[in-house]
Amino acid sequence: MNALIVAGLVLGSIYAISALGLVLTYSASRVFNFAHGAIAYFVAVFYYWLHTRHGWSVPAAAFVSIGVVSPLLGLFLWAALFRRLAHTPPVVRFVSTVGLWVAVPALVKVIFPWTRNEIFEPEGLIEGEPRVFDVFGVAINANQLVVLIGAAVVAVGLTVLIRYTALGLSIRATVDSPRVAGIAGVNTSVVTASSWMIGTTLAGLAGVLLTPILGLADIQFTLLLVASLGAVVIARMTSLPLAFGGALLIGLAQEVSRQWLPDSGVFAKGFRPSLPFIAMLVFLLAYQGLRGERFEVEARATRQDRPEAPAPPPLRGWRAAIGPLVVAVALFTVPLWLSEFWVGVVSQGMGLAILFLTFTVVTGEGGMVSLCQMTLAGIGGFTAAKLATDSGWPLALALLAGAVVAVPVGMLVAGLSLRLGGLYLALATLAFSQLVENLVFAREDFDNFGTGVEIGRPEFFGIDFDDAAPFYLLLVVVFCVMALLVLNLRRGTSGLVFASMRSSEPASATIGISVVRAKMIAFAASAFIAGLGGGLYSIAIGRAAPASFGLIVGIVWLAIVVTWGVRSVVGALIAGIIFVVAPQLVSLYLTEGWADVPTMLFGLGAIALAREPRGVLFDVVNQHRLRRLRRQTRRDERARRAAPVPA
Amino acid sequence: MTADALLSAEGITVRFGGVVALDGVSLAVPERSIVGLVGPNGAGKTTLFGVLSGLVRPRGGRVVLRGVDVTGASPPRRSRLGLARTFQRIELFTELTVREHLVVAHRAHERRDRRFLADLVGLGSRPPPREREVVDDLLEVLALTELADRPAALLPLGTGRLVEVARALATEPAVVLLDEPTSGLDAAEAERLAAALQQTRADLGVAFVLVEHNVDFVLGLAEHVTVLDFGKVIAGGTPAAIRADEAVQAAYLGTSTGAGAV
Repeated sequence: MNALIVAGLVLGSIYAISALGLVLTYSASRVFNFAHGAIAYFVAVFYYWLHTRHGWSVPAAAFVSIGVVSPLLGLFLWAALFRRLAHTPPVVRFVSTVGLWVAVPALVKVIFPWTRNEIFEPEGLIEGEPRVFDVFGVAINANQLVVLIGAAVVAVGLTVLIRYTALGLSIRATVDSPRVAGIAGVNTSVVTASSWMIGTTLAGLAGVLLTPILGLADIQFTLLLVASLGAVVIARMTSLPLAFGGALLIGLAQEVSRQWLPDSGVFAKGFRPSLPFIAMLVFLLAYQGLRGERFEVEARATRQDRPEAPAPPPLRGWRAAIGPLVVAVALFTVPLWLSEFWVGVVSQGMGLAILFLTFTVVTGEGGMVSLCQMTLAGIGGFTAAKLATDSGWPLALALLAGAVVAVPVGMLVAGLSLRLGGLYLALATLAFSQLVENLVFAREDFDNFGTGVEIGRPEFFGIDFDDAAPFYLLLVVVFCVMALLVLNLRRGTSGLVFASMRSSEPASATIGISVVRAKMIAFAASAFIAGLGGGLYSIAIGRAAPASFGLIVGIVWLAIVVTWGVRSVVGALIAGIIFVVAPQLVSLYLTEGWADVPTMLFGLGAIALAREPRGVLFDVVNQHRLRRLRRQTRRDERARRAAPVPA
Repeated sequence: MTADALLSAEGITVRFGGVVALDGVSLAVPERSIVGLVGPNGAGKTTLFGVLSGLVRPRGGRVVLRGVDVTGASPPRRSRLGLARTFQRIELFTELTVREHLVVAHRAHERRDRRFLADLVGLGSRPPPREREVVDDLLEVLALTELADRPAALLPLGTGRLVEVARALATEPAVVLLDEPTSGLDAAEAERLAAALQQTRADLGVAFVLVEHNVDFVLGLAEHVTVLDFGKVIAGGTPAAIRADEAVQAAYLGTSTGAGAV
């Protein structure tokens, strides 16, 4: 028991260091850094590289990686990215740091190729076998002691910094109101830059401390640091003491609960990683009850000083038909000019393209960042596979059932957090996805030792879709139908309502739009598409497997869709195909060293293009039309002003 | 005193942290009236608008709209009861054209924003019967017809304010709250706006509440003016009475004794 408490305090201390960094940077800049764990991973690998691979001494390696590289990284990221994000729409803010979360681990693998196959024996800040101390009759090893001392130093240091130093005063002023602080002579750039430097340093410290406990596998690593999000939610994003206490509690609960858990089964494996997310959902529910908070907080946080460029009006007449016609011809003739192998690959891409329309609806139209669309897709995929394979339902019916089941689940998650605002929605969807991944998808009857549930090809109207080409064409038809429905939605009143909501929630509400209702509708529609797409994608790859619908996969999906245009159905199409085709091309024609380059590019693309939600395509197609539109508007405005004032 | 008013606020109190933004403020807006609300910066005018439109929840007091107590009601519900507003810091829909601003407001008013399934099958883009007429008339009245199909985000600030007024009117309201409608407008445009407001009042019977820094604009247009200072009503009456009021002179118009605590 004592050993568990010590282990829990140690784990909680690491969460606390990480959570303090998150809270500090969010408070100072209103940018929530989803890449916090990824940065920790980068620093931990860097430390390993210096210490273990190059034989640097512990103090030297620790000083350079935590004390020099981490803050410099923070400064660089602030200058290159975070600084620009403060006044952008919330979606842009979330997607940019999610892009970073995707890009950094891939970047690490590209820079340090040995991380792919090295068998790590990572050390923390203690060299060799750690000594064991006896503290009041409790055995604590040196590594654990370092963590506890580190957390205490960080907590005291931050408190002193915030309470008693000039920088701390400036930080507090900036947290309250950046504008007023600026007027009062606080250099808010210095303040936000310093908080980012402190934030990344804390991330780096947490990363290095975590290494001996966890090893250096990127996925576990980023996930475990994501766990400190539980503490951040308990702190309501802004309270440093609450974040610290919450993190300790979560760490303790994770370790102490070991003694009551069964020895095997999904619960034994899945409960502990789920704990932070259970805490998160519980507190979200509790905070939901506190009223009056939302509009004040959100209204201040979501001020957009740099709204996105307006869209030129849609093309009319024959011009409008060219684009869709070219795309349709290209899609339908694919089996004529590609080999059967590639038709199979592109089929998987088409399945994903259908699935990706879920982002077009929830993020593109609804203006929400959801991190559980892959989970909803998984729910659709598993439902369809179970019903079709185990219960013998007709495949079409099973697919439909998968889509229908995803809807109430999605609406429940959205309903829990929508009223609290966009950031809470992103965190609640993340928590939900982790709970389902750990406690449901991990069950033996779904996971099946990683192979998942098989699902066969359909047979409709006497046509056998077992062959590559007919199945591919079936997916193309489904994609076209779904894309048409999405376009209809956008062209109708719903599209106007969504656009209004994305620009200004207060203005939308005061002209009579129920913002919550509109968002729920967008979420429900996106859940349906995710469920259907998840089923079709599973058919394309032959099985519904947990690995296809994991968190890391999901954020890469979001990043690539944003790169190609989250507002465009063609963007979803291209994103789906590239997501499948790019790794195939790399593995067929390039060396292993290139394997992570596509993922890295998707992440970087999301960072670069988050400012233009209409993506690469929009930029290329519409730049000159937009310029012409500006000129015309200026001319009309002059004409209007010259007109006589009516008596 | 407010039984027959279209919109009334009684004893509204709002606190932000330790600051009392509004302290027992009352306001009555009779039908077809133009009521002015003036006061120095930070007097609580915009906060009062927030309370009236449902974006800020008051600590105490109540808001009555057309005989219904709407103190706890959501902004959309108030909109359906006939309340509309504009914003001091302009809140346009950056992706929409000028006409679309009016269209979405009118459709929300007609409750066409909930026809999700009709939209899905492609019937959503057909405009409801009166829409074209209402929207065209409003564009005409506010002299926005030439700009109707231009994206609102490309317009200068002053014109943007007119779009906000037009959007508010497109919900066919009974009362519109205008938060500094003339800031960013040149003299000719302010004049044109005044004419448009009087015309809409005459044609449609709409009442207006004006928050303004342009004192001449308010005193020239309103029948009744309320003066706020430090979250309290310090004077109320006809424009002529307000011009003569000494407390107002001291607190707001800034004559002899300087900005004062009343």
